[in-house]
Amino acid sequence: MATFQGALEANPGWKLGDPVEDLDFPPPLTAFYSEYPERLEWDYKTFTETIPNNQKDAAIYGPYYTLANAYSYGFQYHGANLPGQQAPPEESDFTIRGNPIPPAVPFKSAALASEFVKEIAHRFGATLVGITRAYEDFFYADSWRGCPPEYDHSNLPEHWKYAVVIGVPMEWDTVLGSPQTSTSYEAYDRVSTAAVRLEGAIKTLGYAARASSPMTNYDLIVPPFSIEAGLGEVCRAGYMIAPETGSNLRTAVVITNLELEIDKPIKFGVEEFCNKCKICAEQCPSGAISFADSPAEQEWGTGSVLRGWEHWYINNGACYNFWRESMGPMGCRLCVAVCPYSRKDNWVHDIAKFADPRDPTGVFASGLLWMQKNFFDYPDAVEYHRPDLGGHFAGFRTEPTFLHAERYLDIDIVSPHEN
Amino acid sequence: MFWDGNIFWFLMGLIFVVVSFAFKAFAEDRGWTLNWWKSLLAALWYWILMLSFYAWGTLAGENEASAGLKFFLFGLVVSIILGVGLWRLLAAKPKDA
Ligand code: SF4
Ligand code: SF4
Repeated sequence: MATFQGALEANPGWKLGDPVEDLDFPPPLTAFYSEYPERLEWDYKTFTETIPNNQKDAAIYGPYYTLANAYSYGFQYHGANLPGQQAPPEESDFTIRGNPIPPAVPFKSAALASEFVKEIAHRFGATLVGITRAYEDFFYADSWRGCPPEYDHSNLPEHWKYAVVIGVPMEWDTVLGSPQTSTSYEAYDRVSTAAVRLEGAIKTLGYAARASSPMTNYDLIVPPFSIEAGLGEVCRAGYMIAPETGSNLRTAVVITNLELEIDKPIKFGVEEFCNKCKICAEQCPSGAISFADSPAEQEWGTGSVLRGWEHWYINNGACYNFWRESMGPMGCRLCVAVCPYSRKDNWVHDIAKFADPRDPTGVFASGLLWMQKNFFDYPDAVEYHRPDLGGHFAGFRTEPTFLHAERYLDIDIVSPHEN
Repeated sequence: MFWDGNIFWFLMGLIFVVVSFAFKAFAEDRGWTLNWWKSLLAALWYWILMLSFYAWGTLAGENEASAGLKFFLFGLVVSIILGVGLWRLLAAKPKDA
């Protein structure tokens, strides 16, 4: 995105329809936009229309979101100080604070090593933990952190053997304020902190370790690792749903050469439920989530099969465009908030979560969905938009009291919900 | 917290025991003969009604009071329909009486 913005600034006369080559992007980006012109249209709209409009909206309504932004920034500020990877894997994965890791301390078995790693991951702050292999398919093709341009990415480093996947949810009451007042950083920071702690602990035992996390950046795509590690199932919105926290889970991965016992993927009926539900597709303000009945039938994207793995693909250009339209902390997260699986962990929803996967007829799921759609209130998708587009920057639910700037701050506040 | 704590559920259990004895006395006054499966059906009916009520409170506690009320009203309607059937079943005289 910074590249796109920089290119537009360097070529202020460029208009949609002019040759994309004139923007002087790096060749892979030029090839990408040539192959997917709709992405060029979305990104152009984002920078020439949506962001300027957002700046005007912020001048009027910004103070209303002062506390939500401050709360979010606390996590962002801490997360920005977490140590990232500054050297290629062969170097950074084997050093702690510039010193070589000590000789490896042998475990009695891979099973016990996994037990220990999971135990400390929870104590470091992870809500969910799973272990799988370091599948080459899920790593970036040519951009691993700390690697110089001439680095050979054709094979994974030999010591990248296992992936410890950890997850932390956002707070259930703040996420309900999506798409405006919630913040991803709440869980980004916490899961990144847990990942960095785990990396340090594994290294002090003499094993290579490398954390990929939201605040320290990635060498890989996390959702497929989460699914292979048995944390959950892929859903219509393109990410993973866990039985315990629904789609409300932010994840990180620690790659290591410590011999570990791996977990198995799980199935608990998400695929079937998503085919009946489609609430996220109905609610998504940018129309970025497909209503199709299977990934193969979805109408956009770079294809539903990537490196042989089938997946749901959201319209990233449309989604990001709405991120830059919404108010409060950056992003949207509405698809997380509205998902029936993301409900608060209490006995009412636990009964539903227990019974649904055990009912082979699907009758229970249909009944649950009927209640979900008829008992729970959903704003119309247009209400999430800016006033000029017919909305009022609605949240799925009202933000929690501690984020009400009007209650705490002695400043002039214009509420987008009035009028 | 009282509402989601052990004391609440302990009280609900106590109330269930009191209601059970009251129901037994009520059935005897009306001359109903209760056997094990009729008693079980009556207990199930009571729990359907009470769970809808508890669900209302639980959903209100997660900021979904309107959904909770709708759920309760739905449970109430189901309970009334089932209750009419249960009443007729319990009030039915044995064939040889
Ligand atoms: S984050 Fe928002 S805009 Fe993006 S897919 Fe989810 S609901 Fe749609
Ligand atoms: S909202 Fe419904 S369709 Fe969307 S991910 Fe959740 S369960 Fe699946």
